[in-house]
Amino acid sequence: MMLGIVLGITSLAILTSIGESTKRETMQRFKNMIGTFDTVMVRPGGGRLRGMPTLVNVPPTLKFDDAQAMADLPEIRNVAEMQTAFDIDVKYRDRTSAPAVFGVSDNWLTLRSDEVADGAFFTSEQNVSLARVAVIGPDVRRDLFPVEDPVAKTIRIADVPFQVIGLLKSRGAGPAGGSLDNIIVIPVNTASRRLFNRDFLTMLIAQVKDTEHSGQAADAVAALLRERHHIRPPAPDDFTVTSPTATMARVTRAGSTLTKILTGVALMALLIGGVVIMSLMSIAVSERRKEIGVRRSVGAARGDIILQFLFEAVLVAFVGGIVGVLIGWGGMEIVTRIQKLPPLLVWQPFAAAIVLSILVGVAFGIYPAWKASRVDPIQALRS
Amino acid sequence: MIELENISKTYKRSEGVTVEALRGISFRISPGEFVAVRGASGSGKSTLLNILGCLDQSTAGSYRLDGENVSARTDKQLSRIRNGKIGFIFQSFNLLPRTTAVENVEIPMVYNDGRVDRSRALAALERVGLAHRASHYATELSGGEQQRVAIARALINRPALILVDEPTGNLDLRAGAEVMGLLRNLHGEGRTILLVTHDDAIAAYTHREIELRDGSIVSDHRRTGEPMQLAPGGAS
Repeated sequence: MMLGIVLGITSLAILTSIGESTKRETMQRFKNMIGTFDTVMVRPGGGRLRGMPTLVNVPPTLKFDDAQAMADLPEIRNVAEMQTAFDIDVKYRDRTSAPAVFGVSDNWLTLRSDEVADGAFFTSEQNVSLARVAVIGPDVRRDLFPVEDPVAKTIRIADVPFQVIGLLKSRGAGPAGGSLDNIIVIPVNTASRRLFNRDFLTMLIAQVKDTEHSGQAADAVAALLRERHHIRPPAPDDFTVTSPTATMARVTRAGSTLTKILTGVALMALLIGGVVIMSLMSIAVSERRKEIGVRRSVGAARGDIILQFLFEAVLVAFVGGIVGVLIGWGGMEIVTRIQKLPPLLVWQPFAAAIVLSILVGVAFGIYPAWKASRVDPIQALRS
Repeated sequence: MIELENISKTYKRSEGVTVEALRGISFRISPGEFVAVRGASGSGKSTLLNILGCLDQSTAGSYRLDGENVSARTDKQLSRIRNGKIGFIFQSFNLLPRTTAVENVEIPMVYNDGRVDRSRALAALERVGLAHRASHYATELSGGEQQRVAIARALINRPALILVDEPTGNLDLRAGAEVMGLLRNLHGEGRTILLVTHDDAIAAYTHREIELRDGSIVSDHRRTGEPMQLAPGGAS
């Protein structure tokens, strides 16, 4: 009798809590990558780019001067320059690693809300003087310095010697699931002149002054770059400005579309459960006509009869809901383990599911209960 | 106690056809009377029972019960009157199955003030001689026992009027005699009882007979002398 409700509530509870849990996890990973949300990012190239921008896959359109000009905009507080390259050979004695190498400006830590776990980050002076210093991520440390203290050791990045001056804190996984810790950070000027020999940037991260209006800041940045690059619309931009807030909204929306569809399916199951309750309560009413007659004759008003049958319908739906939630909870545990989602306990969907099952009981119990209250007592008692 | 004045009841059937079940009935019943209402089926007995029992309302006329005008009341008010002033005893006992005898007796208390007094229910069962069967389920009781539980249930809220519908129709003679004996004792204690029957032998227990035909009263007379008795095993 309660199977429909049980199935409906089970799937509803599982789906909504997976949806909620995935959404939170996505946001967390996104935040891991971006660091802060009060930024606007500029990539070279107008079209969509597959994967991370690197020195080998972007056009050479974004220059150090652009960064300087952006920093002078009233909407912008701070600009970080970046030159990124992936799978660079790094050696320490006989050990090797192939991390991403990020040439960045010295304000990187603030802009990414990153932290140094050990040692120090490089200074602006070290950036200007093209110092060959490196700050390494936890994965690189694991590969190259399983036991030793890496600080003050010399590593070779693409055969260029660098001194390790610090160790980054772990950032965990990015939106695609890959590690954000397999990284070496060096001064961007050093990267440009002493390592990669390229004079263009792969990304600019600009911190906006007013987070509420990061869209306006993005527009101002785009206008500035068009002017500097002599681009007149409708000619396409040779850069792309994105704000994490907008990207975040898009990601969350994609997640919620799936959740909506699945929720629709679950509601369907719940609806079927409700109809089953209604028909079974109707049968109960006709089987218990005598009881209704007795209760009416000894003083039950129509309202009392309605309440009694409504309560029974709600009880059935509620028990179904509880069973559904218990199964759903178990299912959720299994799914999070298989999907390697963090065991995120989101109780709201379960509470909502129970409330919903009660509502289903009321909605589909009201008609049979009303019918029960209309039973003619004398006819019922004489039959 | 009961004052009926010009009570009529018309039922609307489909396509404007109306059926007159009662046509202007008037009578009075004084406290402590034991009255039989007789008539063939279709004479209006059931309709009258519904109206007297506040399960239905008349289309016209006035009905005073225990000094209170009970015409034109809401369902809730009628339910309260049924609960406090009327005890029903039916032909088919109508106990709730899967419910014990004493729980059946307690049902009217649920709709009174919601407070169920087990000792009162047990006392009522004691009165009908069934204290020893209190915790038996309704289905485990014999017909006569079930009807005695039904009587205990009808009495539990000390009603002003006891309405009885063919009380022995589903009982054998012996059980029927026991039930009628109980009703006579209740009358002896001053209860007002109105009994609907088409059985002469049952009507013979009463002191007054009202006869209905086609929704009108055709005779209303008091019985003279000692009422007859339904002898166990005797012909009726």
